[in-house]
Amino acid sequence: MNLNLKMLKNDFKRNRAGNVALLLFMILATTQVVAATIVVTQLLSSMMGMYNTAKPPHFLQMHKGEINQEAIDTFCSSYDGITAYQTVSMIDVYGDDIKIIGDKPFNLSDSRIDISLVKQNKEYDRLLDDNRNVIHLKKSEIGIPVILLGAYEINLGDTVAITNHGVTKEFKVTAFVHDAQMNSTLCSSTRLLISDEDYEELYGIMGEKEYLIEAYFTDSALASGFQTAYEKANLPQDGQAVTYRIIFLLSALTDISLAMILIFVSILLVMVALMCMKYTMMAALEEEVSEIGTMKAIGMSYKDIQNLYLKKYKIMATAGILIGYIIAIILSNLFTGHVSSTFGKQPVSLLTIGLPIIGCVLVYFITNHYCKKILKKLKKVTVVDALITGKGFGKGERVRDGLYQSKKMPVNLLMSVRETLHNFGGYVIVFVVMFLVIGIMMVPMNLLNTMKSKEFITYMGSSTDDVMIEIESGENLWNSYERVKKLLTRDPDIKEYKEYRSVRIEAYNSKKEWMNLHVDCGNHAGEELKYLYGKAPSIENDIALSKLNADAVGKNVGDCITIRVDDKQMEFTVSGIYQDVTSGGLTAKAINTFPGVESEKYQFTINLVDKVDANAKTLQWRMHIGGGCDIEPMEEFINQTLGGVAKQVEIAAIAVMVIGFLLAGLMVVLFMKLRLAKDVSQIAAMKAIGFTNFDVRRQYLYKIGMVSLIAILTGSIFSNVLGGKIVSLAFGIMGLGISKVTFIINPWIAFLLLPVTLLSVVVGVTWITSRQIREYQIISLINE
Amino acid sequence: MKKYMLQVKGLWKEFSGTNIVKGIDLTVNEGEFVAIMGQSGSGKSTLLYNISGMDRATKGEIIFEGEDISKLDDEQMSRIRLNNMGFIFQQSHLLKTLSIRDNIVLPGFKANSSNRETVTKYAEELMRKTGIEQIAEHDIKKVSGGQLQRAAVCRALINHPDIIFGDEPTGALNSSATKEIMDIINGVNAQGTTVMLVTHDAKVAARADRVIFLSDGTITDEIVLGRYQEKDFPDRENKMKEWLGKLGF
Repeated sequence: MNLNLKMLKNDFKRNRAGNVALLLFMILATTQVVAATIVVTQLLSSMMGMYNTAKPPHFLQMHKGEINQEAIDTFCSSYDGITAYQTVSMIDVYGDDIKIIGDKPFNLSDSRIDISLVKQNKEYDRLLDDNRNVIHLKKSEIGIPVILLGAYEINLGDTVAITNHGVTKEFKVTAFVHDAQMNSTLCSSTRLLISDEDYEELYGIMGEKEYLIEAYFTDSALASGFQTAYEKANLPQDGQAVTYRIIFLLSALTDISLAMILIFVSILLVMVALMCMKYTMMAALEEEVSEIGTMKAIGMSYKDIQNLYLKKYKIMATAGILIGYIIAIILSNLFTGHVSSTFGKQPVSLLTIGLPIIGCVLVYFITNHYCKKILKKLKKVTVVDALITGKGFGKGERVRDGLYQSKKMPVNLLMSVRETLHNFGGYVIVFVVMFLVIGIMMVPMNLLNTMKSKEFITYMGSSTDDVMIEIESGENLWNSYERVKKLLTRDPDIKEYKEYRSVRIEAYNSKKEWMNLHVDCGNHAGEELKYLYGKAPSIENDIALSKLNADAVGKNVGDCITIRVDDKQMEFTVSGIYQDVTSGGLTAKAINTFPGVESEKYQFTINLVDKVDANAKTLQWRMHIGGGCDIEPMEEFINQTLGGVAKQVEIAAIAVMVIGFLLAGLMVVLFMKLRLAKDVSQIAAMKAIGFTNFDVRRQYLYKIGMVSLIAILTGSIFSNVLGGKIVSLAFGIMGLGISKVTFIINPWIAFLLLPVTLLSVVVGVTWITSRQIREYQIISLINE
Repeated sequence: MKKYMLQVKGLWKEFSGTNIVKGIDLTVNEGEFVAIMGQSGSGKSTLLYNISGMDRATKGEIIFEGEDISKLDDEQMSRIRLNNMGFIFQQSHLLKTLSIRDNIVLPGFKANSSNRETVTKYAEELMRKTGIEQIAEHDIKKVSGGQLQRAAVCRALINHPDIIFGDEPTGALNSSATKEIMDIINGVNAQGTTVMLVTHDAKVAARADRVIFLSDGTITDEIVLGRYQEKDFPDRENKMKEWLGKLGF
């Protein structure tokens, strides 16, 4: 047998615990890095793959009501940089109108997403199937968007009956639709695909007409300039306008959140793995110091000895990385399932295979470099250090007189406290690992809690009241408003309600050009939002701006802003700046109701009297008001809007928590094994002078428990403070209109459940592994 | 009538299929100083560790102050080691993370946690008597072997033990340090503490009241020298040499 292999085999037999731990850390680090790489690669390549075929617009303006296509043609054909444009018509129907007839028939009345029927487009903005092929349907066939599948059980072959304006049409579900521009629950609309023939048949006799005015440019960045020009040209704009970046980000937010968590955890995990590797290697070197001294004494050079060790670590790294890679591939479906269901199946490509392998190679080189750095210590140790003085590699424990001064503290605790205080270096690995582990677990958990909380909805520009009613622009806007208003005034179950109307006015942007400003106005406008700076508008001439709008107009709190309404200019003061992801993050709030300006939409937020069920009330109002309005209990709205994201974050948070506990347990086992092996003579000496096994075990429990407790406490505080900043930074980079996320922390989870469970794992594993102390015999002292 | 400190009855110790100690019977009187000698591998250290309860005998009884300690569990045995026994090893085996003084007071604190001031005062008295009071706060890695062994003696004495066991306590020391340590041990013995130690050194054994010779796990001979007095030392040493010569040692 090859000499190196023989040595490795012997070494593995002799130091099984250390080597197994080293291998496990390599596996963990690789699994995490490969999993993160797979998710990021899959996400990017899936999105690119889907976008290449589907071709979502760079600019999209939704519009309810009639349009003047000629005016649009004239404007678009003369705009510089535009490569294509199209107007897509849609038939808007309500969830109540759509009945799914499968195993258990149901309708979509509780869907908060606006639903439209469309036909397939020719060249741009195409709807795709699971394999990313353009869907072509036959008569009476329908394609259901995949985002509805999260909330409803709809199967291929089910019948969909749509009834509107007295017309009923039945379809058979033959495809699931991947819609590049509306594939997230964060978007407020979705499209059901029907055949051209059915579409022509229903157009004009069913639902309400809505249009998507779409434009494509040589560079997608030209879209925001186009938007300003388009709105200024008074072209159809009764509806939301979005640009490519927002379409892209809203589509990917769910998976980006997951990828962010995985990347964050991977970085920390690699750090933990490297630290544990260093500890294991140093323990092995300490243990083998006399062999190292002997090798040096017989003339082996530093390089020879280094290579001997390096070969061992290289073989272990290769094995760890291979196993980690295989595990990550097996587990990757757990993390990429959502990517595939959203963006369609990603065929295997060079990129999807290559990048995770590059990740592995990177892990290999990092560990290899790190091992080399640690092995440099071999250079410093002399034959005398190794064989004569017993100095070895370490600096040795620090000794400080003073135990005798203690008056009351129990001896075991006293010894433990003094040792951890004076020789903290010996326990620093426990501290760092526990600090990182609690961070790894806490940040995703806090993010999940934040996303699940009611307050998070304020980032979506919405209120935290019980029920929300929205009347979107359209021909019946005023009638619907009157109907709702009458109902709310008479209902005794209402504690209070607030009403807002949205108007479009103009303001000077930072380039001194007029830009459109969509303002939600009403007596309570902006009251419930959390402000980055300043406060809600309190007087007629106050205005609060969303972060992206404040950046666009180049104004801060207290600055004056010139507003133009029907050619009349007014001076307003910026009272506050808040975060918002709705309407592309470009919103404003004012008390001034801008009389005379046409309303774009109306919104009511309602608080019910105690004990009135919001869901029941919503159903009652829906029946009473009928179509034309969105009526949603706020909890349901949050669930439907953020449910998908929260679910992915939840999967990641739970996976990370399991990894965290495993890592903490594994590290304690490793630490205890190596520490006990190092301390064997000290333990025997303690037993000889009258300490029981129980005393010695308690000392280890106190030492590791204390260091872990401090690490977990500081780690909790750091994660709760810095975690929010990390997430804010990530959201800020995405440019979604959120630049500061304050974690909504559940104190029971963040400060009690997680830390106590982690500490319990540490204490439990320490106690179990310390059983080994019972095997240590005092007689081993004479055998040293 | 003499009181027994220790009675060993039919003690056997087997290790990896080999009997190291083979059915030893032995008594040690209260206040007596017994030395055990023998060739390397004769089982003398094993006998000492078994008698002191630091290792478990395979068979036999060890009656210490009237109680069979061979049947005690870890906790009970630890309590006896802490309160009634002192131990000095060939190496000092002090705890590396504690100073000299802290090493000495530690068993005292463990045994008598309510009166730590008295323990500390006694530790200082012991250090003064053994001449190591100047190095009380020192790191154990920074003092000489002789000083370390004196500290180990102080630690062994801190709880006023009834018996002190020594396993080659002077084995790693030069002759002057050996004399200093043995003077201390004889002094402790003179005050009534029973001493039982294993040694290779005839000069050390010559200070004992009685010397037992062990060969292949059994007691083959013994010599009674009587109470130690410094002026008799040359005679005792000669007697020892003569006796050991007869035994071919």
